[in-house]
Parts: sequence; structure tokens; C-alpha cells
Amino acid sequence: MGNWLVYILNGLYFASFLFLTSLGLSIILGVMGILNLAHGSLFALGAFVSAWLIGTLTGLPPGIAFLVALLAAMLVAGLMGILIETSIIRPMYTRALEYQLLITFGTLLVIEDLIKMIWGGTAYYASKPFTIMGNMHFLTNQYPVYFLFVIAVSFLAGIAIWLIMGKTRVGIMLRAISMDRDMARAMGIRIGRLNTLAFGMGAALAGLAGALIVPTTPALLGIGMEPLIIAFIVVVLGGLGSLKGALIGSLIVGEIRSFGIVLFPEVELPLLFTIAVLILVVKPEGLFGSK
Amino acid sequence: MSGERLGRREFLKNAGLAGIAVGAAGITGAGFQVRSAKAAEKRSVPKTPIRLAAISFLTGAAAAPFGIPADNAYKLCAEKINSEGGILGRKIDLQSFDEAGGGDSQVKLARKLILEDKVDAVLGYISSGNCKAVLPLSDELGGLIIAYDCGTHELLEEEKSPFKFPKYELGFRSSAHLGIDNIGLALFIEEHFKGVKKIAGINPDYAWGRESWLIFEKAIKQLIPGVEVVNTLWPKLFTTDYTAHISALIGSGAEIIHSALWGGDAVTFSKQAIGMGLFNKAKMAYSRGEPYPQEVGMEFPEGQIICCAGTHYFLYPEHDKWPLNKWFVESYHKKYGKYPTYPCYHAYQAIYTYKAAVEKAGSLLGGWPTQEEIAKAASGLSIETPSGILTIGADHNGREDVLVGISKKVSGHAFPILDPEMMAIYPAHQVNAPAGIRTEDWIAGWKA
Repeated sequence: MGNWLVYILNGLYFASFLFLTSLGLSIILGVMGILNLAHGSLFALGAFVSAWLIGTLTGLPPGIAFLVALLAAMLVAGLMGILIETSIIRPMYTRALEYQLLITFGTLLVIEDLIKMIWGGTAYYASKPFTIMGNMHFLTNQYPVYFLFVIAVSFLAGIAIWLIMGKTRVGIMLRAISMDRDMARAMGIRIGRLNTLAFGMGAALAGLAGALIVPTTPALLGIGMEPLIIAFIVVVLGGLGSLKGALIGSLIVGEIRSFGIVLFPEVELPLLFTIAVLILVVKPEGLFGSK
Repeated sequence: MSGERLGRREFLKNAGLAGIAVGAAGITGAGFQVRSAKAAEKRSVPKTPIRLAAISFLTGAAAAPFGIPADNAYKLCAEKINSEGGILGRKIDLQSFDEAGGGDSQVKLARKLILEDKVDAVLGYISSGNCKAVLPLSDELGGLIIAYDCGTHELLEEEKSPFKFPKYELGFRSSAHLGIDNIGLALFIEEHFKGVKKIAGINPDYAWGRESWLIFEKAIKQLIPGVEVVNTLWPKLFTTDYTAHISALIGSGAEIIHSALWGGDAVTFSKQAIGMGLFNKAKMAYSRGEPYPQEVGMEFPEGQIICCAGTHYFLYPEHDKWPLNKWFVESYHKKYGKYPTYPCYHAYQAIYTYKAAVEKAGSLLGGWPTQEEIAKAASGLSIETPSGILTIGADHNGREDVLVGISKKVSGHAFPILDPEMMAIYPAHQVNAPAGIRTEDWIAGWKA
């Protein structure tokens, strides 16, 4: 029984990173119609900012230092997102998809090089938050409290985005843009500003995910590639641009991976892709996507 | 030559001839004397520096744990050699290159270095894939290539035993292959944990991980016939979340878990495994785990089985008994603030193998040797290194002893070290297959 609970928690933990990453990707895709390949490098940027600050702010109490690192990672990734949107993405709105893919992939490479210029090619270790939070014990199992913290932060971030999108004026305008861009413009919504805001918000979420991962794994060049690829599966599975889809898609992928590794270790990734393919065959628009 | 099948009689004849030739060359330099008698007077030593290309990962996941420390060691060794007058009076001009980019780009780089830049030797490669891609260029382009760190046992072996060697006339590996790591682990487990019943493996899902597990599984089953493999996991490279794997390992009931995870992956796995209590229930056996206690620090758990990819360790050979290790460790630590790890020792081996081969050939020829002459001199060469004695076999592959130990927290050290009471050294002949025999076939021939 205890083991099964751990498998479920493992799935939730993995899903937390996927949710934060795919949520940002989904917002950008839904509101702006941009498939942002640079999202992975924004994740990496958050990871490096956070790892660097955790290692630098040794004078502060560890909890405060980690909080500062999380907020700074969101801020830097968010500002980078705004910079990308205003300088590079904006001229691409009217272009075909392949231009977007090329320009965002190029941006990914530029940000990777920027990270290399600032922090070098070496690994940054920042495991202090993971260590000091300690472990909890239940039945015969031991589980790190940090993993539960990540699940909680991801849950709170999801609630915050849901409230912003559902209850605020800005959120309603963003949803209006994602539903019908031309109509929204005709209604007087200033699409340019909201695009920038959406891009910044999505980028900040990627930065937060990157910041949360470094206490458990070193920040390395290329750290954003795996989350980017799996977040794409989530977004396609859940439905393009759907917040609910990002949540359910993340949970499905997280739990399938967790139980798949335990029950069918040889087919860890094929299992994931097979189920994604099956869902898409039955529902090509994704679980919560609109036709 | 590749894949050529020899009869047993022919193999023995070739092996015998090779052995005699190597022995003769090693002792008297007979391989050179016929030509050198005429050539000696005309030989001279060029005034220009020796151009050596050192290729390691300088960016990416393998840079911090392997590539950068190895590159540091190359620089340290080149400075030392130059300060002592160079090789036959020629100084080394060491140029570092990044190994990142994959096999194709490394092939292009090696071609450029050999054909356009005309370097004297290429010393390189951490990735087995890059080694496999580049080493055939040695004979194709006529350039000396010394693979210094990559682990695949397939690099210089053929498909069937017995096979003809050397595979490449100008291609070498100046270290032993992954066989010593995994056979060493199996021997250590047999010696100290004979009663083990259940083992498992978690290895990266590509050639390095698959080959490491293959050799370990064959060796452990030969040494402890009743042992049961309860789980084998294959996470992909650069996985950031091992929680599901760790749960699966805990659930399997394995007592010892073999792993060839490396770099950030090994550190990530270790940290997450500590948090999830894996080490309360099982021991890890890391095939090249020597760098990780220093990387992880005091959180690295005690009681884990660690292999050193040779006898490459900052505390062994003991400094009072083997001053070369003392010099290497102290010089490296003074310059770079860390203790040298096994890739650093491998870098030393590559550059000093080149030096020794040139000096051996040069002393016999009375001048600067050709690439072919350096290669002949390198075959069968034995040199002193900070780790002990390295021998380059007639198959052009390095032969080394291997050190296996258990992590222990000892006062005065900032990270767990190998327990001095439980270090085991397995001699080269016990962990390296003879030339011409595939490692798997050699293990299969052991008597339990």
C-alpha cells in the first residue's frame, strides 16, 4: 500500500514540473498562436539563476535565499520572455508556422549561448533546499519533503493562473484573444500589450519550473530540452491552448511514467508515446482542445 | 582486417609472432634497428613545437565531471614536460578542442587536425561513440590518435574470438576499457558480499550503460552462480527525475545495485536516492563512481561500492610509496582547487604514453621518429603513471590494475573517501582480457 502511494506521489512530482512548463507553453500557444521552442531555454535560464543565487546568497537564512532565488528566476525568465516577444516574435505573428519554429529555435540557441557566456559550461549544484527540508516517513517508506513542496508550489501556481485567467479583466481579455483574435481586436482589446504580458507570464512559469528543479539535479547546459519535449507531448495530449488540458495531460504523463517504470521498465518511453498516440487517434484535437 | 575470422592455429601463430615481435621491440628496439642504422645519421629533431590536440568535452553535461578536469590535467602535464625540456628537446604546443557536437563533427575536426593542421597527435575522446567514429581515421589518414578515456570494450575488439590485432596501426587507447570497472566490481562483491542473492542494475540507456551491465552481469554470474537479477532499469541520458526508478529499485528487494550512471546523472540519482531512503535498503556499486563523493560532498552516503576506472585515486597509490601520485595530486589541487579524478589520470596517461613512445623510438633512431615508428614504440610500452604502471598491449589497448573500495566518512576530509581498510586492488591480468580475445568470451571461460 505504502509503495503504491509513493508511486502516485512520484507521478505527481514529475507532473508538477510538466504542468508548470506546459502551462506556460500552452498560454503562449493559446493566446498568441506561437509555438515557442525557446521555452526550454527559459526553463534553463530559471534553473541557472536559481542555482547561482542559492550558491551565492549564503549569508541569508536558507529558506529566504531559496525564496529569493525562485522569485528572481521567475523575474529574469519573465523579462527575457518580454524581451523576446517585443524584439523577435512580434514581426512573426503574420508569418507562417515554419518561420515561428525557426525563429524560436534560433532564440533557444542564443539563450543557451548566453547562459554559457554568463555561467560557463560547468554544472551548478544547489541542493541545499532539498537537503534542509529533510525527509518524512510513512509506513515503511521515506520521502523527501522537498518533493511535496514542489507539488504544492505547482498546485498554487495552477490556482493562481486559473484565477487570473478566469476572474480578472486581463485574463478575460486573454481568453477572448485566444478564442477569436480578430474579434478581440475589433472590440478594442490592445492585443500587442496582452501578447507581451502572456509571453512574459508563460516564460516566468518556465523559469519557476527550472528554479524548482535545481535543488534535485545540477543546472547544466541543455537542462531545458527534456522538459520542452515532454511538455509538447502534454500540450498536444491535453489540447492546444487548454489550461485544463495542461493539468490533466501532465497528470496522465506523470502517472503513466511513474507506474510504467515500476511495472514495465523496458518500455518507459514507448509506453508514454503509445498512450499519447492512442488518445490522439481517438481525439485528434487532444483531450480538452477545441476542434 | 575488421571482422576477419582466423583459425585457432593461425591465431596462435599470429599471437606468438606478435608476442615475440613486441617483446623484442620492447626490450631491444629491434623493430627499428634495421632501418635506424641507415637513417640515424640523417635524422634530426625539428625545431618547431610538437602540436598536440587535446579533445575533451568542454561544454555540456560531460564537461564539469570529466572534460574540464581532464583538460586541466593535459595543461598541467604539458607545462611539466615543457619545464623539463620538452620531448627530445621539442616543447609541446597543446591545443584544446571541444568534444561536443557528436561523431560527425568530431570526424570533421579530426580530419582537419590531421590533414590541414598536421598535428603530431590527437589525444582525445570521453564518449565511446566519438572514439568509435574517429579512431578508424588514424590508419585512413596516417595520423596518430590516442583515445584517452572512452570506455567501450568494442573499440579495439572484433566480433569474434580469437581476432587479429592491432585493429588500427596508428590508433591506440591509453587506458583500460570498461571491462576492468565491471569485472572489478564483481570481484569485490564476490570477496566482500559473497552471500548476496538479489542484484539489480540502473544504467543509462545507450551503449555505455548497456555494455557496462553486460560485462558486470556476465562476471557476477560467473563468480556467484546463484545470484538473481531482480530488476534492470534503463533511464535515458540526462534524466532529471529518478523517483520512479528509485521506487522500483526499492520495491525489487535488490541488495546490491549496479550502475554506470555518470556525471550529473549519477549525482542527481544519488541525491534523490538518499532522500528516498534507497541506501537504507541496498548498496550501490558504481562502475566509475570515483568522482562523485567529491561532487556530492558529505551527503554522499557511506557504504557504497565504488570503482576507480583503474587505480586512479587521489589517496592511492599512497603518496609516501609512489611520489608521482603525490606530485600529481598536490600540483593539480594547488592549481585547480580540487583533487584530480580519474579523467585527469587518463589525460596524464595519454600525454605521457606519447612522450614515452617518442623518446623510446627517438633514442633508437637518433632523431625524431615518424608516426608509424612512434606507434610501434607505443605497442607493448610500460610507463609509470601517478596511478602505478600502465602497459599498452599489443592490441594497442591499455592494461591497468583496478581499485575498488567502499565510501566512508573520515575526519579531515570534506567528502567520503574510500575506506583505507577495505580497498581492494585487482591486478591487470585478473580484470583485462588477453589481446585477441573478446572480453565476454574471456569471462565465459572462467571457472567458478
